[in-house]
Amino acid sequence: MEARTLRMHEDLLRALEKPAERRSWAMAIDLDKCIGCHACEVACVAENALPPGVTYRKVFEVEDGEYPNVRRLFMPTNCQQCDDPPCVAGLPEDAYTKRPDGVLVFHYDRIRGKDLYRKISRQCPYTAVYHDDGRFFTEQTPARAPYEERPTFDYGEARHRTGEEPTVLDAVRKCHFCVHRLDAGLLPACVTTCVGGAMYFGDANDPDSLVNSVLRTRKAMRLYEEEGTRPRVWYLTGTLAAVETCRSCHG
Amino acid sequence: MDDGGEGEAMNETRSATMRAPTQGGMPRRDFLWTSAIACGSAFLASRLGPAFDVLQRSQATPRAPGAYPLAKPENIIYSTCLQCHTSCPIKVKILDGVAVKIDGPAYSPQSMLPHVPYATSLRTAARVDGKICPKGQAGVQSLYDPYRIAKVLKRAGPRGSNRWVTVPFDQAISEIVEGGYLFRHVPGEEKRYVPGLKDLYLVRDPKLMAALERDAARVAKGEMTLEAFKQAHAAQLELLLDPDHPDLGPINNQFVFLAGRIQPGRKEFSQRWLKDAFGSVNWYEHTTICEQSHHIAYEQMTHQYKDGKWSGGKTHMKPDTLNSEFVVYFGTGAFEANFGPPPTSEKVTSGIVEGRLKIAVVDPRFSKTAAKAWKWVPVRPGTDGALALAMIRWIVENERYDAAFLSHANQAAAAAGQETSWTTASWLVKIERDGRPGAYLRAKDLNRGDTNQFVVWREGEAVPFDPYDKTTPVRGELRVDRTIGETRVKSVFQLLWESASSESIEQWAAICGVDRETIEQLAREFTAHGKKAVAELYRGAVQHTNGYFNAQAILALNLLVGNPDWKGGLSAGGGHWHEAGDKPGQPYPLAELHPGKLGSFGVPLTREKTHYEATTLFRGYPAPRPFYPLTSNVYQEVLPSARARYPYPIKALFLHKGTPALSVPGAQAQIDALVDLEAIPLFFACDIVVGESSMYADYVFPDLSVWERWGMPHTTPDVPTKTSKVRQPTVAPLTDTVTVYGEKVPLCMEAVMLAIAERLGMPGFGADGFGPGMPLKRPEDYYLKMVANIAAGDGPGDAVPEADGEEMALFLAARRHLPKTVFDPERWEAAAGKAHWRRVVYVLNRGGRYEDFARAYEGARVAHRFGKLFALYSEPVALARHSLTGERFSGIPVYEPVRDAAGRAVEAGAGFDFSLITYKDILGGQSRTLPNNYWLSQILGENYVIMNARDAKRLGLADGARVRLVSPTNREGLWDLRNGERVSVEGRLKVVEGMRPGTVAVSWHFGHWAYGAADTVVDGEKIPGDPRRRAGLCPNVVMMLDPHLKDVCLTDPIGGSASFYDTRVAVVRA
Repeated sequence: MEARTLRMHEDLLRALEKPAERRSWAMAIDLDKCIGCHACEVACVAENALPPGVTYRKVFEVEDGEYPNVRRLFMPTNCQQCDDPPCVAGLPEDAYTKRPDGVLVFHYDRIRGKDLYRKISRQCPYTAVYHDDGRFFTEQTPARAPYEERPTFDYGEARHRTGEEPTVLDAVRKCHFCVHRLDAGLLPACVTTCVGGAMYFGDANDPDSLVNSVLRTRKAMRLYEEEGTRPRVWYLTGTLAAVETCRSCHG
Repeated sequence: MDDGGEGEAMNETRSATMRAPTQGGMPRRDFLWTSAIACGSAFLASRLGPAFDVLQRSQATPRAPGAYPLAKPENIIYSTCLQCHTSCPIKVKILDGVAVKIDGPAYSPQSMLPHVPYATSLRTAARVDGKICPKGQAGVQSLYDPYRIAKVLKRAGPRGSNRWVTVPFDQAISEIVEGGYLFRHVPGEEKRYVPGLKDLYLVRDPKLMAALERDAARVAKGEMTLEAFKQAHAAQLELLLDPDHPDLGPINNQFVFLAGRIQPGRKEFSQRWLKDAFGSVNWYEHTTICEQSHHIAYEQMTHQYKDGKWSGGKTHMKPDTLNSEFVVYFGTGAFEANFGPPPTSEKVTSGIVEGRLKIAVVDPRFSKTAAKAWKWVPVRPGTDGALALAMIRWIVENERYDAAFLSHANQAAAAAGQETSWTTASWLVKIERDGRPGAYLRAKDLNRGDTNQFVVWREGEAVPFDPYDKTTPVRGELRVDRTIGETRVKSVFQLLWESASSESIEQWAAICGVDRETIEQLAREFTAHGKKAVAELYRGAVQHTNGYFNAQAILALNLLVGNPDWKGGLSAGGGHWHEAGDKPGQPYPLAELHPGKLGSFGVPLTREKTHYEATTLFRGYPAPRPFYPLTSNVYQEVLPSARARYPYPIKALFLHKGTPALSVPGAQAQIDALVDLEAIPLFFACDIVVGESSMYADYVFPDLSVWERWGMPHTTPDVPTKTSKVRQPTVAPLTDTVTVYGEKVPLCMEAVMLAIAERLGMPGFGADGFGPGMPLKRPEDYYLKMVANIAAGDGPGDAVPEADGEEMALFLAARRHLPKTVFDPERWEAAAGKAHWRRVVYVLNRGGRYEDFARAYEGARVAHRFGKLFALYSEPVALARHSLTGERFSGIPVYEPVRDAAGRAVEAGAGFDFSLITYKDILGGQSRTLPNNYWLSQILGENYVIMNARDAKRLGLADGARVRLVSPTNREGLWDLRNGERVSVEGRLKVVEGMRPGTVAVSWHFGHWAYGAADTVVDGEKIPGDPRRRAGLCPNVVMMLDPHLKDVCLTDPIGGSASFYDTRVAVVRA
């Protein structure tokens, strides 16, 4: 078995030694290793202090076949950090940044409100964006829990949900490959916590990185590649069953 | 939280939503920890020193990119989870004194494979996160559960009414110890005198305890007459439960401690308190509602013959999935429950993707593990043993077993055959006149040696041998059925064959509902990988009345391929450094450091570890209630036995972190016992939230959650390297501070025990608790000594390094938010011992001690080996008798149908056309994760009755329909809470293909009626429950009550497991 996390951690430290414009982050998700445990989903919520209904990452599950020949597929999704992101079409240019390493940054002070959220959401084929409508998980209980009152570090900046400025309330939020962690020398939370070992992440420009090596050696596909979005998230699967199950949903 | 920096708007919100109504100007909601915030006293900030306050604010709320605070070792404390029993190490990240994020530590083999070397610096490790499952991540939501209690509650209405008053800790302790008319204020209880613990703490002299024990044993053995006993102890007869049955023990036994998930650390602490200092034998934990028969099957198979008896044994082994080529999972899997998704899952997924590993899953439900399997085998529930016996039959018939391995009769033969372990397969067993196998043949039986020597048949003669002889290899023939002199004997292998061939493969196939081809494919695949194939089992195969035998049959498969200790085979795991201090060179042998130890004796309330025939209660068969000579901790039997007053009535119950009212099959009987004031006159509980069982208590003491307290959990054998995990306080306690032995400590289980010990003057606690000048007045006085033992290691030269200056500084910095009631470096140093302190810090800084991954394997074998005898035939089981039928058990695995306590086959009757099973979703543990952890319930908000589509079609039920479960012993499908409320076992139907037709499954975490789901009245104020926490259903109450006993669920008479999966139910429209 490969030392997945430690090797990717070394890949990350090596990439951080290079100038930012020479890094290119890529994620690969091995559907054959995803066990549908949702650890990535909860890790993401915890890492980014996400409110109810906002989950940068979701794991979908589908059952297929007929007893006793049954298949079950688990499908994690998040913002694909498209190089041609359809979601930002028509947005003011200062509302977002496409970082040289590939991460699509939403500027929270510029991307706010339900209307803008609806527009972006309509334009994203991956259903990857969310609106922070100010709710708390513990708001109907005897007291709001303190872990809900801590700032988030999305994009490396402490932002608050408790009324303090700068705020993240009302912002349109999505996965950002945990850039606040990357910049501090940590892999994204969904990657380090992956219980099945399905997550790969690293610098696509580094031929020695593990993510590059799995992309070279395994069958890889991207979602809605045909729409020209150029996503930075690849899905790996070698099993016919997984592909068939995918097809059963997507034709 | 530090209140100062949060702005006016925040405080206004708080005062609007949280400030409780007041009476006479006093806030009334202060029994919840959250009230500390509501009352403006800012529970965390108030406990921070001003210097730390500034330090932390400047460090922990960065504005500049790159200053991500959660990657700093100063903001991290390593500890251990307990959202499920896997107890993964955790890396708790703390911001402003609040635990905000939990990751897996890079140091731990449960979290990362391979884990980083133990010597890795804290700064480096801070930036490397490992894995942790969703329950573990949601730990902060159990820690900061808004319904957690901070103050002691005393019942204000009848049991179960959920009406309470807060009382001072000292008053509650005083009432519990002294007794009295404690519930005068409750209608109907005005004249009820409640006995106090002082009335039960009668034998206080260790010499007297020992003398009574010695003579009571002589009476039971018939070596002393009862009259002689009564004469010898005339002055002490009133101290005994029953002078006519002195072997029941002293009145002290009327105090019962019942724990749910209690682990090493608290286990030893509470046993020291109850068994060694209070003098009661009645200490129980919950394993029979988990998977006890699996433990007992392992124990019987791995016990060793020493000094004329079988003893010891490992309760648990696991496949070395990192190197296996084939694993067949019976009633379990790798990705959901079992012993932990984080340590096991990636070994399996990567093995499958790399083409190294194939797995098969035997489970009526198409689990997430089955989704990755080469073969899913939807077996009929409760017939796993039949399937395993069918495989054994095919393997023996086709001679695909490791005959050389099985022929090794002693250690020398194993060594000569390049093996580390050996079996009793070739040993001869005496066949009795009725044809039943009995004891192993001893050399002494042939007048050719002593009783420690056994016998094999080889080349026409009987060969005596010592199983542990290292010099003379003895091998035996496997198929022996003959007489030697007058004695009829058979080899163990022959007995196994006879059991496996008692049915044809077609007949076995009909029993287990798996076709012949599948059985053969499984058996062929299992025997196609040499020693790299393993048969693994857990809860699903054993929570049946035939659970022990199912487990034995499955374990026998492993011995047929001779896989123990081989890479990819069955592994004993890396083990742990011994926290109890019983190894040479360890500084604190805790059991010995107990001046004035009282000790205890007597028949346990559950009649466990006790042969009926060996007690003075024996009056022929059937016994009034079952005895469990071969198992322990028969959780489901504690309260019903108390209610039945057999073998004796009890007076006081202390419930800790357990919830029999929710979690035991046929739970109604448990509730009925808890509300019975005569059966349980005094009932106090220690819990973090008022739960389904603690709501019936007379007093509820708040406990610390696992993120605030100590523990030394052991590690699954799935981990091949040596591991000692340490649970330690990571954040300030949310419970009240109380004073015991003059010390200020947070309210918790230990505080309750210390306070009672102080009031009763129990030995081994207080100023000289461990010995002169060695106090046991605070939790850390005990637990830091355990850490010192771990740091010292298991022998000379095995100690960890000392923490250097930087590590000492980081140790303090990471604990800057902890109040003095929990953390005081000088006090901790004194408790650990000055000489050990820096090594203890080294261990605490890493949350435990972890052997490096490089030490996991040696050549083709695991480095940490079992290396001993496997008993394929259990002599203790074969010689024990069923206490109701008087019949002997089988020493070899057999298939048995579902049986009741009287030994009769159980028939459900017409109309109950589904088998009911449960399972655990990865998002839930049993009673404390879903749905109260909102990050988890956001993903899975309720559970379902899961049914195959063809069954749903037959019943005309659509996906999503509301249905109720009813059973032969719960025909209405209801919980009667005995407080006027009834809860229907009702939920939504989920129609799937991945379920065996004729079986329905309900996951086991939902269906709460307390634990924050119910309205609670405290000091006259109503705290509304959270409707989200009532979601879904809990099926346990419809599980069958034993038709003979009627007040407890069906139970495995050997392993003691409670039957969760033998109930037939009907699914009706709600």
